[in-house]
Amino acid sequence: MVETKANAAVVFTGSQRELAGILLRGYALLVPTIGLYRFWLTSWKRRFYWSHTSIGGDRLEYTGDASQLMLGFLLALAVFVPLYGIFFYLSTLSSEAALIGYGAIGIFVWFLSGYAIYRARDFRLSRTLWRGIRFDQGGSAWGYAWRRFGWSVLMIMTGGLVYPFMAANLWRYRYCNTWYGDRQFGFTGNWRQIAWPYYLSYMAVLIITVLSIWNGAGSGIFPFGLASFNPSALPPLATGAAFCALWVLFYQSREISRMFSAVRLGSAELTVHIRARSLLWIYGQFALALLGTFVLLLVGGAIVLGSLAADAFADNHFDAQIFLGYLQSSIATVIAFVLGYLLLLGAFTATKELFIGYGFWRLVAQGADISGLQSLENVQARAEDKALLGEGLADALNVGAY
Amino acid sequence: MAIPARFHDGLTAAVRDVALDYEKRGASGTLIIRDPVTAMELARWPAGNLYTVNAPRHVLRLAATGQPTGARVIVEGREDIARIRATLPVLAHKAQQETRRQVRIALTATLALASVIAAYLFGVPLLATRIASVVPPAWEQSLGNTVAQQMEAGLAQSGGFEICDPNPQSLANQALQRFGIEAMRGSGSPFTLDIKIVRSDIPNAFALPGGRVYFFSALLDRATSPDEFAGVLAHEIGHVVYRHGLEQLISTAGTGALIGFILGDMTGLSVAAGLGSTLIDARFSRLAEREADAYAASLAHRLDFNPAGLADLIARVSEDDQFAQALALFNTHPLTTDRKAALEILAAQRPSGLEPPFSPAEWAAIRSMCGDPPLLPKIKTP
Repeated sequence: MVETKANAAVVFTGSQRELAGILLRGYALLVPTIGLYRFWLTSWKRRFYWSHTSIGGDRLEYTGDASQLMLGFLLALAVFVPLYGIFFYLSTLSSEAALIGYGAIGIFVWFLSGYAIYRARDFRLSRTLWRGIRFDQGGSAWGYAWRRFGWSVLMIMTGGLVYPFMAANLWRYRYCNTWYGDRQFGFTGNWRQIAWPYYLSYMAVLIITVLSIWNGAGSGIFPFGLASFNPSALPPLATGAAFCALWVLFYQSREISRMFSAVRLGSAELTVHIRARSLLWIYGQFALALLGTFVLLLVGGAIVLGSLAADAFADNHFDAQIFLGYLQSSIATVIAFVLGYLLLLGAFTATKELFIGYGFWRLVAQGADISGLQSLENVQARAEDKALLGEGLADALNVGAY
Repeated sequence: MAIPARFHDGLTAAVRDVALDYEKRGASGTLIIRDPVTAMELARWPAGNLYTVNAPRHVLRLAATGQPTGARVIVEGREDIARIRATLPVLAHKAQQETRRQVRIALTATLALASVIAAYLFGVPLLATRIASVVPPAWEQSLGNTVAQQMEAGLAQSGGFEICDPNPQSLANQALQRFGIEAMRGSGSPFTLDIKIVRSDIPNAFALPGGRVYFFSALLDRATSPDEFAGVLAHEIGHVVYRHGLEQLISTAGTGALIGFILGDMTGLSVAAGLGSTLIDARFSRLAEREADAYAASLAHRLDFNPAGLADLIARVSEDDQFAQALALFNTHPLTTDRKAALEILAAQRPSGLEPPFSPAEWAAIRSMCGDPPLLPKIKTP
């Protein structure tokens, strides 16, 4: 059965401009709703990504609802309120006991975030409709959390060498428990597929780091203290960091390509091919856009503050004392200051979503192809999965993606 | 003329190209979904059950109640969509209803959150007092010990921590102890005071939960009269009696949780969380400072000192610290001018013929606890 590329391909038609509109409206509404609009913003963002992605000529549909997300967040509070109580109690103990307690809570939260990630994925899948049939996720979120936690312990013990095994194992668990209607996904990937790029990048990053430190130590950047600080040692260090980043991008592109390409649904096969330089392009665009936005905001902020607290900037010289005096006496200055902070924060998250979130989704969609789509025609719907209430913990822990 | 569309029946993943027809009988219409070639009927959806689901602008996705949840009819193309919308005004009506429902939910949730915040802002001093009142004093004392250990260790690292005149039987310490006992008399506080004068360059004095009061030598050196010293000391004892340290701990924890909830980041690591907590907590501690001032004023009705001296001493110390003044918005203490006015009102009708808090000999002994006091006129030359 031969299918034309146009029919089988994954097509993404969303424009950055439309997403920007959604984000702008969403951030504006976050202020009067005291932050609660974030659940609606997430829903609109997902509707945007889903509805502009079509597979074999049919769009995805996100059927989730903001109030489900909000309810899930409220339920997650049930976990956090006791944790807060423990935190409070610990803060009153002797420093050793408090440190041990904080550490234990940190480990517990790390464990919990595995559960949260899996549940959030379940929520998104079960609210994704394609050709009238829903996706779903089985398996156990606690099982996934334990698995991920166990692997992270091994990761620490082996200094990261066990990573390919972990990645393959977790990808397998996620995809082997994913369903489309009554058909179960499969996963043919294994650690060997990512071992080469991983260990290569690992060695490269290690060598670059050692060389940079050695070089830096030679030129006296490390004897801590400002007196002996040598700025001429910075450029080689930055170059080292840039090379490390390139290797990380190289590896990331290989893992995404190879692991996604191991996803199967019956006899339908997914292949994804993305290049490291495409990832580099995404991050480069993000960095430039962020720089531009921040320069604009800072100039705007300086003009606003300059007109509100003019004499603090008199004689082309910023007088911190007069400025702080304004902060104390003029409510308008304080409000401008707080708004400025919110603007900076909003500009950062919006730029990140517009360039990294959007760019990544588009990259994967453009690089994806699916063969054997016709074999899916006889997939049947399964009963509704109503047990899930929002993403709960994932929201509270801030681990949600898209 | 039939409208071309795509049809998902919601039972299997097979997709069909279909032709849509609309049939009107009396008041009720029906959407008929047909095979485009054979014109065979595949499904009939009553118009009243139809609603739209989210789709890009040039796409119309129809669903219907009473059908499988995934069943959809998808129409693309502006003209066809316009025709359907014109035929089925119910679609616009239902979309509007749904928007209103979402707005209602968002509004209700916002109002609920706003009232939680309001209740928190006004209720937390009460709440923290209530919670603090059920905390066993022994626990608060052990908390104070922990804080004291941490603080002494911290001070020892940066320049040393030295208690001036550690002999409890000395004239100065006896006087301080007597002052403490008088200050605590009738307050019902379960704590025993432990007042220490500490050598430090920072002009400061503070109370820890459980009854420890620290008075730094730099602040003592700046006091020009027993009134000022007794005022600040009584103020700190007020913090101990009202258990402000514990209350503040409780309210800080509560504020952190609330801000985390608003920002949706329960880990509370962001800058906004820190800033918000600081602003709210500063308000609570200003309330606590006023309470402690009032306590100092009430002690002045039993011992002969002018509690307004406390405002004088604080004003003198903070005068050289412009930066601290400018940050008064974030400051935990009320402005000293307001404070002095309030204290003067509280101290207005003090009875006459009271015992002074310290005899001249005792005051001299206290002033020399950390060695000879520096000559006063040399310190302050404006």
